[in-house]
Amino acid sequence: MSNEVEETMKRIQSHKGVVGTIVVNSEGIPIKTTLDNTTTVQYAGLISSLADKARSVVRDLDPSNDLTFLRIRSKKHEIMVAPDKEFILIVVQNPTD
Amino acid sequence: MELFADRPKPAMSDRRAELERKKAKLQALREEKERRRREKELKDVKEATDRAHLVAGGDRKELDEMLSEVGVAPLSEVYSSISSANSLTPEPSRNHTPDTSLQMNSLPNNVIAVRKKAPQLTVVPVQSTNIPPKEVVVYTKQTQTTATGHELRDGFSSASSSPLKGYMEDWWRPRKAHATDYYDEYNLNPGLEWEDEFTVLTYDDPQGEDEENSLPHIGVSKLPPGILPHGLPQVKEVQPAVTQVEQEAKKEHETKEIRELSEEEKQMIILSEDFQQFIDRSGRIMERALCETVDIYTDYSGIGEDALDEKCHQRISFNRTFYDERWSKNRTITSLDWSTQFPELLLASYNNNEESPNDPDGVVLVWNTKFKKTTPEYIFHCQSAVLSTTFARFHPNLILGGTYSGQIVLWDNRVQKRTPIQRTPLSTTAHTHPVYCMSVVGTQNAHNLISISTDGRMCSWSLDMLGQPQDTLDLSRTQSKPVAVTCLDFPSSDVNNFVIGSEEGAAYSACRHGAKTGITETYEGHQGPITGISVNSVQGGIDFSHMFLTSSFDWTIKLWSLKDSKPIYSFDDNGDYLLNLKWSPVHPALFAAVDCCGRLDLWNLNQDTEVPAASVTVEGMPALNKVSWTPSGLHVTVGDNLGRIHVYDVAENFAHPRHDEWNKFLYTTQELRNSQVDEELEKLNYSVSNINPSSF
Repeated sequence: MSNEVEETMKRIQSHKGVVGTIVVNSEGIPIKTTLDNTTTVQYAGLISSLADKARSVVRDLDPSNDLTFLRIRSKKHEIMVAPDKEFILIVVQNPTD
Repeated sequence: MELFADRPKPAMSDRRAELERKKAKLQALREEKERRRREKELKDVKEATDRAHLVAGGDRKELDEMLSEVGVAPLSEVYSSISSANSLTPEPSRNHTPDTSLQMNSLPNNVIAVRKKAPQLTVVPVQSTNIPPKEVVVYTKQTQTTATGHELRDGFSSASSSPLKGYMEDWWRPRKAHATDYYDEYNLNPGLEWEDEFTVLTYDDPQGEDEENSLPHIGVSKLPPGILPHGLPQVKEVQPAVTQVEQEAKKEHETKEIRELSEEEKQMIILSEDFQQFIDRSGRIMERALCETVDIYTDYSGIGEDALDEKCHQRISFNRTFYDERWSKNRTITSLDWSTQFPELLLASYNNNEESPNDPDGVVLVWNTKFKKTTPEYIFHCQSAVLSTTFARFHPNLILGGTYSGQIVLWDNRVQKRTPIQRTPLSTTAHTHPVYCMSVVGTQNAHNLISISTDGRMCSWSLDMLGQPQDTLDLSRTQSKPVAVTCLDFPSSDVNNFVIGSEEGAAYSACRHGAKTGITETYEGHQGPITGISVNSVQGGIDFSHMFLTSSFDWTIKLWSLKDSKPIYSFDDNGDYLLNLKWSPVHPALFAAVDCCGRLDLWNLNQDTEVPAASVTVEGMPALNKVSWTPSGLHVTVGDNLGRIHVYDVAENFAHPRHDEWNKFLYTTQELRNSQVDEELEKLNYSVSNINPSSF
């Protein structure tokens, strides 16, 4: 079963332009990553709190609503965040190529 | 009376005498006491002197002389003075007298001390300094907990004057109503009067904070009357119980607490069901998101229009390839199917990969044509090569597969499992030969899975019960010769009649139920095994569901009518094995055919029956094993023998029929029939003419 996880991660990572893939739990602790440790910890902490905030915004606007996906487009990267109840999948890619 | 008078007299006299006696006795006692006391005193003195005599002995005289030289009274005098003192205060002296050894040495010193104790007092002028105590004002916590202010805290180090400033601001204002908002300095500073009340700077005083920035120093002139600047008490700011700093610090602490999970913990999480599901779901979404390269900066001012035009003129153009390095490499595509619920989902089954014997033989992949994601939506596999597959039409989550071993397997995409959740038994009641054809027929409430193996056995299954087939039927030409079925097709909305192609080159029509079940008609014409069979299923004004096509290893495609055992027409354009063909789902006269050398042909019988209307050769010229149309009829997908599915776009004006296509097609088939008859006649004539000369 766990090699299916590996497979999915590998597939995502093999996409053109993907810089890194991180899976964190709800507390922002990284579980799986393809980036180095410091970058991972930084992304995990910042993105998970941002995702929490984004979710609370969505829920505050409409309590029956929920956050499903978050894309942050910057000059250098695009950060894509797929939040879930317990985990968050973060993918960083270079959209320029 | 007399008697009474007499009596008291002797009594009175007696009593008087008795009193006298007692008085005398008392007197005597007192005297005795006095005498004893005096005796005791005398005895004490005597004892003391005796003791002195005893200790000093003969040295006494010398001592006296030495003392007198120094100017001190002789020892005897001292002793007498002591004894007198003793008599005055007998109790303490007796108690405090040191023991005899000490007495000797201490006595002279005592005498000296007594002598020195007479001080001479004079008036001296003294310089006096008055140091006022440092006033430290500490007020209670309550004073400051009205609110917490982040900004003021920052000013702590810079300005001890900051509280003053708030006061500066507020001294002229009405006093704030906080009960505890006062300084003790009201009492300590006499310069303050109650008219000069000022409010304490509290943390919720933004005004004071604003002023702090604008006024770096406070002018003394601004001080209210009655308050001296130097007289202001030093105010120590006591932090409120919980400040934002603390909260922040706490938070920092919390973030620091984020520890790294150990490998074991990570592994535990990774192996948990929740995590698997999450990765499965999110990974799919993420891949779709990654592949969507919607160019939001599209410029419509002219760039790229040429390519668009070019595409419009092409009847068929390459769109994309579905290929998975791990799962589809070197595997021949054995069947293709489309989901009825989700028309973008393409199901493909794959044969075994001879180069990787460790991987499962059979693979089924679900591809998504809607998104640009190039990886399969779902991956399923089983131990035996999958030769045919189909979506369970009325169960969108179920996928069926017919295997080389003869088992029918069932996968469910709701289950986190790639292996089949159900499979039919390998027994003589079901299939024991490879199952190359499968189809789900019927309606929502009454549908069956029909599967036919190469030994000619047809089984009908209920999806609720895969333990054994509901019905079996052995398809055979005669009683002894079973039909090796290679392909099967049902006319649309027909559950009883169907057509099959066989290895021996004949096509058959058959029926499942009725008076005569099994093969009803034989269509002979092909010289090689039939590889594909397709019944025209386009709905429209005229029903063509009796028209079907077959492709064969004999390089030809033949058009048949169920009503005719001879082919209506034979397409002889190809120069290699034809491996599959399919009618368009929307155009009555359009079909696609693939051959062994990578050629994909689109035939439009209304345009031309001699050559294909459009033709394309797949890159690399692989053998194209299967072909299928998307339900929209706008795309053709072909599966090759190397594991690739190629998707081609069909131009809309070419794929969509005009309203007169049905009539035209009827006319075309009529023409083909006529020409067939003509040909037959010609042949007949030719043979007749051949015969005639010989007879003559």
